[in-house]
Amino acid sequence: MKSKKLLILSILLVLTLILTACNGDNGGDEVDGEPEAEEVTLRVLVHQNPPMVEFVEAFNAEFEANHPNVTVDMSVVNANDLSTVTQTRLTANDVDVVDMFAFTNAAQPYMNNVDPPNWQTLIEAGYLMDLTGQPFLDNYYDSANQDAGSYDGKVYQINLGTVCYSGIYYNKDLFVEYGVEVPTTWDQLVTACETFNENDIPCMTAGGKDGWPIFVGAYGLIGALYPDQEALVEGLWTGSIKWNDPEAMEMWEKMQVYAQDMMEEGASGIAGDAAPGRFASGAVAMFPGGSWYAAAIETSEPAFEWGYIPFPGSDDPADNQYLFGKYDQGWVIAENSPNKETGLMYLEEFSEPENYEAFVNTVGFFPTQPDVVLDTKIGLEVAPYMENFRVGYEQYWVAPKGAGQYANPFASYFSPFGTYDDAQALADKAQADLQSGLDANQ
Amino acid sequence: MNAYHFGGGKSRWVPYAFLLPGLLLYVIIALGPSIATTFFSFTNATGIQGAPIDWVGLDNFREFLFMGQASQDNLAALGRTLIFSLFVTTIQFGLGLLIAVLVNQKLKGTNFFRTLYFMPVILGAVIQGLIWSLFLYPLGGPMQSILDIFGLSSEFFGGPPSEAFAWVIVVQIWANMGTTMIIFLAGLQTIPSEIYEAAEIDGASKWQVFRNVTWPLMTPSVNTNLLLNIIGSLQAWQLFLVLLGYRNGTQVLGYLIYAVGFGQTSGSVTSSFRQGYAAAASIVLFFLVLVLGMTTQYFLNRREKRILG
Repeated sequence: MKSKKLLILSILLVLTLILTACNGDNGGDEVDGEPEAEEVTLRVLVHQNPPMVEFVEAFNAEFEANHPNVTVDMSVVNANDLSTVTQTRLTANDVDVVDMFAFTNAAQPYMNNVDPPNWQTLIEAGYLMDLTGQPFLDNYYDSANQDAGSYDGKVYQINLGTVCYSGIYYNKDLFVEYGVEVPTTWDQLVTACETFNENDIPCMTAGGKDGWPIFVGAYGLIGALYPDQEALVEGLWTGSIKWNDPEAMEMWEKMQVYAQDMMEEGASGIAGDAAPGRFASGAVAMFPGGSWYAAAIETSEPAFEWGYIPFPGSDDPADNQYLFGKYDQGWVIAENSPNKETGLMYLEEFSEPENYEAFVNTVGFFPTQPDVVLDTKIGLEVAPYMENFRVGYEQYWVAPKGAGQYANPFASYFSPFGTYDDAQALADKAQADLQSGLDANQ
Repeated sequence: MNAYHFGGGKSRWVPYAFLLPGLLLYVIIALGPSIATTFFSFTNATGIQGAPIDWVGLDNFREFLFMGQASQDNLAALGRTLIFSLFVTTIQFGLGLLIAVLVNQKLKGTNFFRTLYFMPVILGAVIQGLIWSLFLYPLGGPMQSILDIFGLSSEFFGGPPSEAFAWVIVVQIWANMGTTMIIFLAGLQTIPSEIYEAAEIDGASKWQVFRNVTWPLMTPSVNTNLLLNIIGSLQAWQLFLVLLGYRNGTQVLGYLIYAVGFGQTSGSVTSSFRQGYAAAASIVLFFLVLVLGMTTQYFLNRREKRILG
């Protein structure tokens, strides 16, 4: 009997101890009358972009200092793996705040039988938090919230900036040394290249091994002919524009000159991330490419003197006034995150004007917040053209199912990057590949 | 005498219990995903848990094999896969055999060379790709410097699709030849030395010894290597991703499946994840591997029976 009582007492004692221990962990204790905040580990996912990662690391340290109960656990993945890792971690409920690219390539009413983009599927499956009405959204241009971060009338992303990709970096010293004018028309660009080539200076370089940098570099050729890129996509889908129209032929012919006469020998073997270093070495006169390369050029050779101009795709300077680009990365919060409040605080502090301004000046983005003063070299170079910034074709384009692999205006289809040496043959092939998809979806 | 090794009654089930963990493992990591892939090939799955999945019947197969120019491009990728497999299997097999015979000699330093030839196998595809990208850098890389001596130049991986494709074949062989060599080496070392001595006494030349002694007695390792080379090369995709990316005229079926499944077809990071369609393409690849693998195995078994009885 005695031992039975002893057993019951022991059990009660153990239970009391367990309950006390549990109580000690729930953050409800008060120290000196103040409630102790719950410990939170905020899981943040970003893609590899050295200046951005460096900035976010510094921001995280500041955020942790402002919120001693928060630890930021940041993961960095390769840009090409971001969407796969994002999807995996969102479905595993293993992430709170994610750096996600802008919501682009949405299906339009005139498109038939196309799949929704990945971001739309994530929203429809309930993985992204609705940010509509959050006060920090007011810090951003409404157009940025609507164009880059909204779906079905709700905001799911704050977009952190735009980049442009239809410009050319040029080597100021070489231009002065050989007396070459900075080109504002296609003819001037051709003449400039001829001058450099005559003096054994390669005219242009690019990361041809990756394919897409050749296309991006020649973006001004598409932009000069089709300044309304959204209308271009609609025209291609509805048949009012064809890749082998006489107007488009001018584009293909110039692309051939660009790929075969302007690019340096060996450019097709240079990787995309090696091209800025090649340009910064001073060996070539020009480097057509996106504004995001500016940081890498400056890091490679801080004293190197360069400028940035829109790619002059037309002989009329008025057609060359546009800079085409895209909304780049933004922040989203996982709908199933247990740390949504902390995630919102993270976005709120990131969106504060002084933090945001420091961010765009570090990364080289063009701001999606008003009243931001850009002090980056690329920002200053691009400032005169920003009024004419336009979202480019590839952010609107969705290929019809069944379309062939040449249904896009890529300069990289010309040899030595590809196999074509005849502009007309390539234009016909591009249109046939596109038409094949359009016909298959009738 | 009991007909069952483990005895009668409940003891009869003991061997099955021993088989169970292996069977479970096989079901979980091989059979289960294969069945799931077959199921998903009839749907529009995106791979996103919670997203609606619709049954689309044979639409994915119809699109892959018959819809528009894209289906012609897919069939071209299928043809390229066969060409890749033919070259890789033939060269890797021949080179592996030659090197295995060489490093099987009783000479000083053979262990060093065995290690050297096997080393690429232990490197991952990314490291292998990085090594070759640096080696074949067209602007002053080591290979270009050698070509410069002869007044030649090449764009290597950035060159015309056929040239880039050929370089991937070279890297694939370099990366996997060590495995072929090791299997052949193991086969060579199982041949009793007495047979070689008898052949020598009979006055057989080195070629006759190889043709009539070594080659027939290596049949099991020949069969293993041939099958592994065929299946491995048909499924190759990682080196294409690392060395070339998504480039017209270079894709093989394995890489195409990865690219459409994970939205990498245009280099865009916002493309759709078409995992149902990719599953259908996987089934096509599966049947290709199955038909070629089974046919090869049939002929190899016949040959083995004829030679070894």
